[in-house]
Amino acid sequence: MRQFLKVGVTLALIAAIAATTLAFVNAVTAPRIAAYEMQIIENALSTVAGKFRLGETKPSLTDEKVSAVHLLQDTDGNHIGYILQLEGIGYGGELTIMASYLNNGEVVEARLLANAETPGLGKKAEAPTYMEKFKATGAAVPVPVKKDALQKEDADSISGATITFAGVAKTIAYGSNYVKSLGGK
Amino acid sequence: MAQSHKEVLTKGLFKENPVFIIMLGLCPTLGVTTQVVNGIGMGLSVIFVLVFSNIFISLLKNIIPNSVRIPSYIVIIAAFVTIVEMVMHAFAPAIYKALGIFLPLIVVNCIILGRAEAFANKNTVYDSFLDAIGMGVGFTMALILIALIREVFGAGTITLIPIGNFDGVLKIPLLYTYPVRVFTLAAGALLLMGYLKAFFTWFAERKRG
Repeated sequence: MRQFLKVGVTLALIAAIAATTLAFVNAVTAPRIAAYEMQIIENALSTVAGKFRLGETKPSLTDEKVSAVHLLQDTDGNHIGYILQLEGIGYGGELTIMASYLNNGEVVEARLLANAETPGLGKKAEAPTYMEKFKATGAAVPVPVKKDALQKEDADSISGATITFAGVAKTIAYGSNYVKSLGGK
Repeated sequence: MAQSHKEVLTKGLFKENPVFIIMLGLCPTLGVTTQVVNGIGMGLSVIFVLVFSNIFISLLKNIIPNSVRIPSYIVIIAAFVTIVEMVMHAFAPAIYKALGIFLPLIVVNCIILGRAEAFANKNTVYDSFLDAIGMGVGFTMALILIALIREVFGAGTITLIPIGNFDGVLKIPLLYTYPVRVFTLAAGALLLMGYLKAFFTWFAERKRG
């Protein structure tokens, strides 16, 4: 009995010390991490807005795949589209995409943010050039969600990471349809 | 233990290289080695965690009851990995981003648990520290070697750390245009690992005579 007690207490003590240390480190690093995450979102917003202006943020969302909707305006302040923060599923798990659309669902610009894709393969989707193949699709031209729909060069660029591509493409296509359903309002 | 301090330090480099001889930690080895920079980042993180876990486990070796030593080791190792993760996320977000999922996976890297069980719980703090450095550097060298071969043949590039105007990517002519893509994929990693293991075994046997 005493032996069990000793073992249990030692283990509990080690766990308690580890937890206290972690709590302390977390208290120091958490504000910096939060600020850094905010910075990423803000940078992404201004990148995908491109030559357009970022309008107000729409409240009250009911769609679980769309975590934020911002209005997109031209330089005269006319409402011409939306910026969506989208949540999708890639090869390694959840991924977050920031994408801007015109009112007719056409993709203006997109960026892959938080993701768990494989470094060296799926992670390449973070590169700004990766999103070129989605630009100007979604309205007259559908968003390419299959490898066959791509040009040879683009198809080569996703080899080894087709599941990542499908995840990104489906998420962007979903956003395009979501924008269409908003109907410019 | 009749090993001198120098032997303890250097055995991890070649004689008992964790990847090529003891064959520990192969999962992260094959996983991260698509680019040289990932190998460097992973190697440095493992050295850090290994040094601190070895020191603490060696310090606590008489306190931890034998029957619960593995859970205790895992708690200690997980605590250090989480500290590395949080500190990196806050102060070096670029490296944190590059390592991604492989950083939390250091917890289950068998090199760290293996050294705790095979070395740190039987030896002095100073020897455990030297062992961690040697094993960690051996692991890092192995990662860089595998990553270098895989990246050069598989993508025709060598990705290092970006400094100033240099974006960190060296392109190799010819191979950049016609890469042997299989090297970047999982199958290429296993093939290469097999050949390297064969080479190191041949080398070790030849040395023995």
